[in-house]
Amino acid sequence: MSATPLLNIAGLTASVDDKTILQGIDLTVGAGETHVLMGPNGAGKSTMGHVIMGDPVYTVNEGAITFDGADITDLSPDKRSRAGLFLSFQAPVEIPGVPLSSFLRATVADRPGLEMKGKEFRRRVKELAAELDMDTAYLNRELGVGFSGGEKKKVEMLQLLLLQPKLAILDETDSGLDVDALGVVSRGMDAYRKSTDGSLVIITHNTRILEHLDVDRVHVMVNGRIVREDAASLIPWIDANGFDSFEREAAAQLTAEQNAEPAAAADPVRAASMNLGAGMVQSLRATLDANGATCGSSNTGNAQ
Amino acid sequence: MKMPGMTIRHASAMPAPTWSWLKMNDVTVQIPDGLERNCQVEIEAGDTLDNTTSFEGSVAALQERIDAEREGVQADGRAMVTAATGSDRGAEELDTPALSTYERRAVLSEVSSDIAADFETGVGADMRAYLNFLAGGTAVLATEEGEEATATVRVTTREGEASGASIDIVAAPNSTFSVVLSLDSASDKPAFMGSTMRVFAGAASHVDITVYLTASDAVAGVEDSGFVLDEGARVSVRHVVLGGAFTATGLAADLRGDRSRIDVDTSYLAAGAQRRDFNYVIRHRGRKTVSNMNANGVLTGTSKKCLRGTIDLIHGAKGAEGNERETVLLASKGVDNKTVPNILCDEDDVAGNHGATIGHVRPEQLFYAACRGLSQEQAEALFLSAKLEDAALRAPNDEVRANVVRLGNQIIPHFEEEIA
Repeated sequence: MSATPLLNIAGLTASVDDKTILQGIDLTVGAGETHVLMGPNGAGKSTMGHVIMGDPVYTVNEGAITFDGADITDLSPDKRSRAGLFLSFQAPVEIPGVPLSSFLRATVADRPGLEMKGKEFRRRVKELAAELDMDTAYLNRELGVGFSGGEKKKVEMLQLLLLQPKLAILDETDSGLDVDALGVVSRGMDAYRKSTDGSLVIITHNTRILEHLDVDRVHVMVNGRIVREDAASLIPWIDANGFDSFEREAAAQLTAEQNAEPAAAADPVRAASMNLGAGMVQSLRATLDANGATCGSSNTGNAQ
Repeated sequence: MKMPGMTIRHASAMPAPTWSWLKMNDVTVQIPDGLERNCQVEIEAGDTLDNTTSFEGSVAALQERIDAEREGVQADGRAMVTAATGSDRGAEELDTPALSTYERRAVLSEVSSDIAADFETGVGADMRAYLNFLAGGTAVLATEEGEEATATVRVTTREGEASGASIDIVAAPNSTFSVVLSLDSASDKPAFMGSTMRVFAGAASHVDITVYLTASDAVAGVEDSGFVLDEGARVSVRHVVLGGAFTATGLAADLRGDRSRIDVDTSYLAAGAQRRDFNYVIRHRGRKTVSNMNANGVLTGTSKKCLRGTIDLIHGAKGAEGNERETVLLASKGVDNKTVPNILCDEDDVAGNHGATIGHVRPEQLFYAACRGLSQEQAEALFLSAKLEDAALRAPNDEVRANVVRLGNQIIPHFEEEIA
């Protein structure tokens, strides 16, 4: 890995509607690396992709996200995109009224190095569509409207190749695809890596999509935590054994943490806030402060 | 000579009004003060420009045929007919109902079955009279039986002027007639333009009308039309309204002949403080007649829009089906949108469907766009440019396309380069 990672996530905890989804995530992706994020359904993998991209649905409670040397934790999603981040959606949205070609043109506008005039843009998009075995008639259709699942995923890959991000998170881009479409998506990922040497974070259940890729690291996520990080050799092991052992380990770890909770009660706010929302935590902190209680420290109960 | 300003009230009125305080029953059209009458209309019609055929003559011929078919048919004995015609003056029939003004008029229309008397246009008689005055005369475009023909009508206006066109279109049986109507003006000072059109679609004829309204921000524009469809006639209308400070688009159709059909596709855009008004009235009189109204629009800034769509399934139109649907995207919070789908029905064996989808850009759509680098403002602008781009791509000729591009350049920077 390079000295300065492209993406660095440190101690990230995120929630939605006061329910914590991601807990203490640490993840580092170097430039040009391919990482795979695996885990059982509901582990929080997609949430992590959305949080990295800045989905306003989620609240980052703790931790920081650094991308390309800059802290992007509070950056809006459009600025993250223009900084070089890309998220391929598991279920791409439909935007009636907007032809795909218009949408694509807007996404490259004012991007240094990607600005293209009308004819040049059309030629480039048609080239990419051909590379992905995509009928160019789709370019004049409303974005996503009436597209099959496979076509939607191809459109995601087309955008990946068009925008050439520094780092792309592919959220189950392979799900629901037949063998042919899977091949097209694989080719797209390959083309992206070759043309840009960009980094990939691939969220998947299907290891087949990884067959043609040199994977650098594999991360296993269970219950909103990364419970294992290892080399690519972990992939065939998971293929053979599934996630049961990780889930058991995670459950055991959770039980151990819960049993050890009295020790953590040195911070009364943290202890009391386990089931509270962020706003209520602030309120609790303020109340305890006013009463002279200790805040923000986990290693001492001494208020002196 | 400069003309005084004029106010035309109750234009584009709904046949069956709702609560007046909703302010959606009709529209008031203001003709700016001090305009000079100057008819600027170009017609490219080749052999279809005709002085021997008339709309009235075609209607009269259809009337004659319908009257002949009605001869010997037993008189309608329904109680409401008795009430409307006043034949029960002695109130001998206890089930004779009291009718509203609207009901009485509707029943009398059914009884008389007078095509000429029933003829109407979407914006209405007062506006039609004014446009006829501006036009100074009516051009008749007509096809011969079995002929395929095209025609283009261009209406424009300049600063301080009022311009109007009056066109009659008569499609002979089994003919196909495609007409493009362009209402365009680049004037940046107050001006007015409009057109009024009567269309007779003969038996088994196909009539395609494409209307583009691409006026600049200072111009008021009105497009008014009325259709009569003979047996098996098929009419397609495409209204594309992209510009103009105020525009009123009105269409009324009389599906008189059995199995006649009309499809109306409306695409509109309103930005800034522009106002759009649409009134569609489709009356199914023939059996197994079909109508489809589809509208799709984008509103931004503080623009306002009202669309009234009435499907009238009249007694006797057995097997008729009318559908209307509108999708409106409210791309800004300050817009004012009114959609009034209306289905009137006095026949059992019919189907009428309506639906509207009105909404702001959804959060997940905004997030998706943001993930591709588009801010909320850019995403909203995208809906505008997409509408303009679609209109440019589907423009019926280069001149209309150039008008769309001119308008697009005023709204979207580098629009022309982008779609080149």
